[in-house]
Amino acid sequence: MIYKSLEKLMEDLKIHDGLHLSFHHHLRNGDKVLNLIMEDLIAKNIKDLHLYPSGIFPVHTSMVNALKKGLIKSITTNYLNGPLSDALNQYPMEGQLTMQTHGGRARAIIEGDNQIDIAFIAVSSCDQAGNASGLYGKTACGALGYAIEDAIHAKRTVIVCDTLLDTVNNPQIEGQFVDDVLLIDSIGNASGIVSGTLAITKDPLGLKVAREAMRFLIASQFIKNNVSYQSGAGGVSLAITKMFNEYLESHHLKASFYTGGITRYHVDALEKGLVQSLYDVQCFDMEAIRSLKENPDHHFMSASDYANPNNPDRKIKALDIVILGATEIDLDFNVNVTTDSKGLIIGGSGGHSDTAEDAKLSIIVSPLLKGRMPLICKRVTTITTPGKHIDVLITERGIAINPMRKDLLELFNDSALNIMPIETLMKKAHDLSGVPKPLKKSSQSLGIVEDRHGQTSDILYRKE
Amino acid sequence: MEIYEADAVIIDFEDAVNVSEKMEARHLTESFLNNHTVSVDIYVRINSEEPFLDEDITLINQLPIQGVVVPKSTEAFLKKLLPKFKASLDVLALIETPNAFFELNKIAQMKPVKSLLLGAEDLMSVIGGIRDESGLAINYARSALIMAGRAHGKTIIDTPWVSLDENQLQEDIKCGQTLGFDGKMAIHPNQVIAINEAFSPSPKAIESALRILAMHKKKGSMRFSLDGKMVDKPIIQQAQNFLDKAKQYGLLSGENYDL
Repeated sequence: MIYKSLEKLMEDLKIHDGLHLSFHHHLRNGDKVLNLIMEDLIAKNIKDLHLYPSGIFPVHTSMVNALKKGLIKSITTNYLNGPLSDALNQYPMEGQLTMQTHGGRARAIIEGDNQIDIAFIAVSSCDQAGNASGLYGKTACGALGYAIEDAIHAKRTVIVCDTLLDTVNNPQIEGQFVDDVLLIDSIGNASGIVSGTLAITKDPLGLKVAREAMRFLIASQFIKNNVSYQSGAGGVSLAITKMFNEYLESHHLKASFYTGGITRYHVDALEKGLVQSLYDVQCFDMEAIRSLKENPDHHFMSASDYANPNNPDRKIKALDIVILGATEIDLDFNVNVTTDSKGLIIGGSGGHSDTAEDAKLSIIVSPLLKGRMPLICKRVTTITTPGKHIDVLITERGIAINPMRKDLLELFNDSALNIMPIETLMKKAHDLSGVPKPLKKSSQSLGIVEDRHGQTSDILYRKE
Repeated sequence: MEIYEADAVIIDFEDAVNVSEKMEARHLTESFLNNHTVSVDIYVRINSEEPFLDEDITLINQLPIQGVVVPKSTEAFLKKLLPKFKASLDVLALIETPNAFFELNKIAQMKPVKSLLLGAEDLMSVIGGIRDESGLAINYARSALIMAGRAHGKTIIDTPWVSLDENQLQEDIKCGQTLGFDGKMAIHPNQVIAINEAFSPSPKAIESALRILAMHKKKGSMRFSLDGKMVDKPIIQQAQNFLDKAKQYGLLSGENYDL
């Protein structure tokens, strides 16, 4: 059924206390849909809500309002950034916060760990039959990979859309899974959704880290025909992707596939014939959206096809190299991208621990100092990705190989690269910054970090 | 300081520092160099004018540095300053005034002067031309430095390119490299890699030089043709010089070099 009135839709959905509701984060900080629904629930004083947004951004202030009014019982998400983070410390929920991974969330929805009553799925275009795609319409955001399992497995699936088309070709979400369509004026602010031009870092330190990473990759002998590769959309990652492309080109090599979030640098490789296929779970810029429309070898994939550990066909199962960031890393190579050093939640795994676990070579790239704080510490504030899945740390002042990777240690035994034990690298950081005072952890827990198999990998604590 | 991969770093007390901050610059430099181990050669560019010059010299004579860059170097200015520097300091003469070009031969003969550096921007501000990446406006200045430097065995370092445009930088690097400079100053860390790549012997050029020497050894002759090119004594000498440089950079393995 197609609705033009939110009021009528909510009435027909028989909204009541205790519902489990899901949203996706493909509109990122431009999203209007989560706030639209939440404000309505607040106005109706619906309580004991269990929320499953795949990601939470600063724009999602309605969740703060709902939290203040005590309407939210639990939150399950893969990424959290913005004022909700502080609010979670101030206004405790009865239930807990669960930080999942992209692959883990898909698994949990399919296997019933995350039981979703209603999925509200913002989409930029759909047709009368509910076929929906993020590729078309005025608020196009490209691939909707993180919304697919919600659409298929929620008890009720509501498409929230601002462009109704006669037909949607190759829909990312098929009409057979859709129960209702809500048409509204605008699902989001385009400027907050995708970046027009994502840029490679100009920071000399970042470029130095990228060069060191590339030197390591070349020496690792991983770059050969049919190599597969993933990296994110940060400035340093983009610089590495560009260098990676240039290396393939100058050495007449062709990669098999790139996975993950796609940018114009990935598209560039595809269109130059440097990589066979792109597997795209989300588009980071306009070029990625254009390419997903135009290039037959640029494939859309769902979060489950991307990273669900129990999906034997997940793309990252065959991943050779992944380039990842870190907020903190410790002497056992555990990585934190969930909290800052004071314990405030500033992000989350996303695909971090999924790809680290599957890829044959998992590389952390980061400057050795984050502001005035050393990157390396004795024990990370929060374990997002366990050290056993991290192979190498690359900084501007040195490279540390995880001692568990004896093969790599041997390969780089007499390398000209600046390789040293992680303890030495930490000391180098301390020589520059001093040794930070350890922080006293609060005894009150706020929630958990869950690995993609559903096991608890760490506890999140309330800030004092 | 070493992480950006420059062979040497010049700490500037002159134009990069506001007049009101000269004392801070000296203090920061002193504190940094006395508290950190640095694995690249450090030079300090001092001021050319009082009231800063004397205090700059007093400080640099106490610092653990390789040498000093003397801005607006002329014969007279260097003669005045050289006795004030401690003997272990290498002097790098920055050539950036028209007068200096008429004294280059004498400047290059001064023993503490190890290198001639071209400062094109100051020069342009006096001579009034328009410098672009073609290098036309400073062609004479570059060549003059090369001749004086080579005549007296001094290192010659090209002027920086001030725009951060990578293509323009490449063009400007090529100008100096083609004329024979040994290296080039960078004004931003992001320029260092392009400069290093351009001034490092390429694998292709190394191979070519090795082939010339191999053929020379095989034929026992000073004159032969190779790949359609006539080779004689100066070409063999060039190949030898080139390989010496490559070896110095660690780009040659010993066995295929000792022909």
